[in-house]
Amino acid sequence: MRMTPDVDASARRTKTVSAGDIAMSCRVRLARNLSDERFPDWATECDRERVFAKVRAALETEKTGATLEPVASFDAQHLEMLREAHLISKDLLEHAAGGGIARLEKSQVCMMVNEEDHLRIQGFSFGLDMQTAWQRADQLDTLLERQLNYAWSPRFGYLTACPSNVGTGLRASAMVHLLGLRLLGELEAVVRGLERMRLLVRGIGGEGSEAAGQIYQISNMDALGVSEETIVQRVARISGEVVRQEHNARVRLVQEMPLVLMDCLARSLSVLQNARLLSTVEALEFLSAMRLGAALGFFTRLKVFDIDKLILLMQPGHMQQGMKTSLMSEERDEVRAGFLSRKLAHVKLKG
Amino acid sequence: MKCEMCHQVEAETVVHKTIEGEILELFVCQECARRESRRDVPHPPLPHDNGEDGVSAVPLMGMILDAAFEIVGKSINREETACPVCGISRGEYRKRSRLGCPACYEAFSKDLEAAISDLHRATQHTGKTPEKAKAAWQRQQLLNALDDAVKGQRYEEAIILRDQLGKLGGDESAKGRLAP
Ligand SMILES: [Zn+2]
Ligand SMILES: [Zn+2]
Repeated sequence: MRMTPDVDASARRTKTVSAGDIAMSCRVRLARNLSDERFPDWATECDRERVFAKVRAALETEKTGATLEPVASFDAQHLEMLREAHLISKDLLEHAAGGGIARLEKSQVCMMVNEEDHLRIQGFSFGLDMQTAWQRADQLDTLLERQLNYAWSPRFGYLTACPSNVGTGLRASAMVHLLGLRLLGELEAVVRGLERMRLLVRGIGGEGSEAAGQIYQISNMDALGVSEETIVQRVARISGEVVRQEHNARVRLVQEMPLVLMDCLARSLSVLQNARLLSTVEALEFLSAMRLGAALGFFTRLKVFDIDKLILLMQPGHMQQGMKTSLMSEERDEVRAGFLSRKLAHVKLKG
Repeated sequence: MKCEMCHQVEAETVVHKTIEGEILELFVCQECARRESRRDVPHPPLPHDNGEDGVSAVPLMGMILDAAFEIVGKSINREETACPVCGISRGEYRKRSRLGCPACYEAFSKDLEAAISDLHRATQHTGKTPEKAKAAWQRQQLLNALDDAVKGQRYEEAIILRDQLGKLGGDESAKGRLAP
């Protein structure tokens, strides 16, 4: 989807920002539980193993083509990589007994077993294509409900371990890069507006730090009293509005403060090309600026997608996998700086 | 433990909320506590309110004291409520802010009703219906009614219920329930 900027000709000289440059990806998650089992947090190891077995049997009977494997069968580095790609959560890794990860072949679906709920079915898609993400999760759920006795009541819908997910058990979320709004000092107002519309905004990226790299996740607060379709459409529509605001912010940055913007891009490139030590959070801040510059077409031979790849590859799990070894934290910072400077050596700022 | 209203951040304080005439104590975060206090303030009718300056603090304090003491009396009994299926008590579930099992929704329905309505601004599901789970739910409702009818020696009603269960099919456990 192309944005139609309502700006004058001078701004049109810069590359048209597509929605995908701002909305990185989206997901729809369904929380499901089995009726005669304790929720994972209160279950014994034996209970959790039984749930795992039931789910595995259901996946096989329905010929879903999904492979379910116990968390314990993966090595630590691969689990870390899955977490860095936001496919699994920290929660799943913390109680490993009975925990499982299922993936559907040829489909962007990943399911966690025995996380906070017995099942967390997640469908993914690009940009703001939430409808596809929802259909992917819904399809697997519909197959599983024929085999499993889901905990469900006409009143509260799908019963979940935490009442904040009860009802549809659905959380639709969009990952968006909002550096333009942040640089113009307008991000807070946008976030407040979203919260008034009952949408949750969370920074992702850095550990502990609020929103390293200005990457945010926008998702629904309400899961009960609204249909799945309505939630999905609403989150997609409002996220689309945020994308439009971010787009306008970027256009204004180019028009109103070109020097500040170019300075920020030049410094970021310079640090990434020359630094000898870079922590994950630090690197993310500079890569975030590079991402904005790439979206505006200010760098030679650099696409937004290249930066997205680097954002993933410079995370500790991915880096160590690339090196085929495990590293101490300081060693990692050194390796990360070297890696990024090699990857970006050929990049130049235009004009 | 997490805030019992938003379930997002750590609870730091306690608020009291009246639901269906019963006062509940909720552990909440500062933000939710503020929101709750704003919501509650305009409601209580002040008996001695006689005009502009008449909003006296005294009756308000009295009401707060009444409410507080009432809770002290009640909280002792409330701790004893436990889910009959998983055995988790209200106190335990609130500490971890996770329910024990699906049956907890029945066992703690009073608390949850309020929490759910705060969390979602709704109390009725309108969405996907899993057929198998729906049938299981209906069967369970009929089984409960059948048990009641048998215990109350309302045999005609029991026979009707048993026939309805028979039509649903599947579970054999309905048979034999009418045996004395
Ligand atoms: Zn709260
Ligand atoms: Zn229970």
